[in-house]
Amino acid sequence: MKELLQIGLLLGGYSLVALCIASFWIPKVLRWREKLSGLTPLMRELWWTYSIYVWSSHVFFAVLSLGFGGWLMEGSGSAMAMCTFMLLWWSVRLYLQFFGFDLSEVEPSFTNRVAKHLLTLLFLCLVILYASLLSWNAGWLPGGGFP
Amino acid sequence: MNVLYLEIGLRIAGLMLLGLVVANFVAAKHLQYAHNLAGSATMVRQIFYVHCAYIIAIVSALALLCLGWPELLHEEKMGRILSGFFGLFWASRVIVQLTYYDKEVRRQERAWDVFFLAIFALLSTVFTLAAIHQ
Repeated sequence: MKELLQIGLLLGGYSLVALCIASFWIPKVLRWREKLSGLTPLMRELWWTYSIYVWSSHVFFAVLSLGFGGWLMEGSGSAMAMCTFMLLWWSVRLYLQFFGFDLSEVEPSFTNRVAKHLLTLLFLCLVILYASLLSWNAGWLPGGGFP
Repeated sequence: MNVLYLEIGLRIAGLMLLGLVVANFVAAKHLQYAHNLAGSATMVRQIFYVHCAYIIAIVSALALLCLGWPELLHEEKMGRILSGFFGLFWASRVIVQLTYYDKEVRRQERAWDVFFLAIFALLSTVFTLAAIHQ
């Protein structure tokens, strides 16, 4: 089980790196600059600031998963807190993917459809990964829990 | 640094973070988010509110951790990594405020500008200390 979770963390971490890199294309694909031009300068500044902080959180999750996977699996209170937070984060994002966003303004091209399905798959896998890690840290899986 | 002082600092940081959560709701009304976003594309509105909610979630979760389990942020390696991240997070918020936000708006709201800069700088200091604490 431990080896499986370690592989999951590596895959999850690399997927998050891919998501962070792909995020640079999102403003162009969704024509953010054009759509934000009608906002006041302050609202635009807030918009970009929030976006960058959410992006940097994804970078942090990737760094944690790839560089500090051992600590995320050590069964400590902070590891459990972090796994719970990331589980909630991606669960909400998965919910929003189905029920939150109105994507009618997005051009229904083949590439955009594939990207949407890949994102949905990624969010689902991340929910499973962090739920499994939380279960491992809590000792609900064989071999897990605080040593 | 004395562990007791560090944990008191983290609890005070937790209270500041709760204040920031409340301030986010006050800012939404004061800066008329709904009015300013009314004419924009649906996607812009949705992404703005989702990102806003995620930021509030991060700050609330951190406040909960600081107030309920401050020891988790400095006793274990995982907690110190987390504190290090938030040390950078709040330090970058100071830089964003000083270099990116509109100077005219900051001048109009000078008292709040200085107040929030001080809060962000204090938060950065407390979390950096928790990260390097041995």
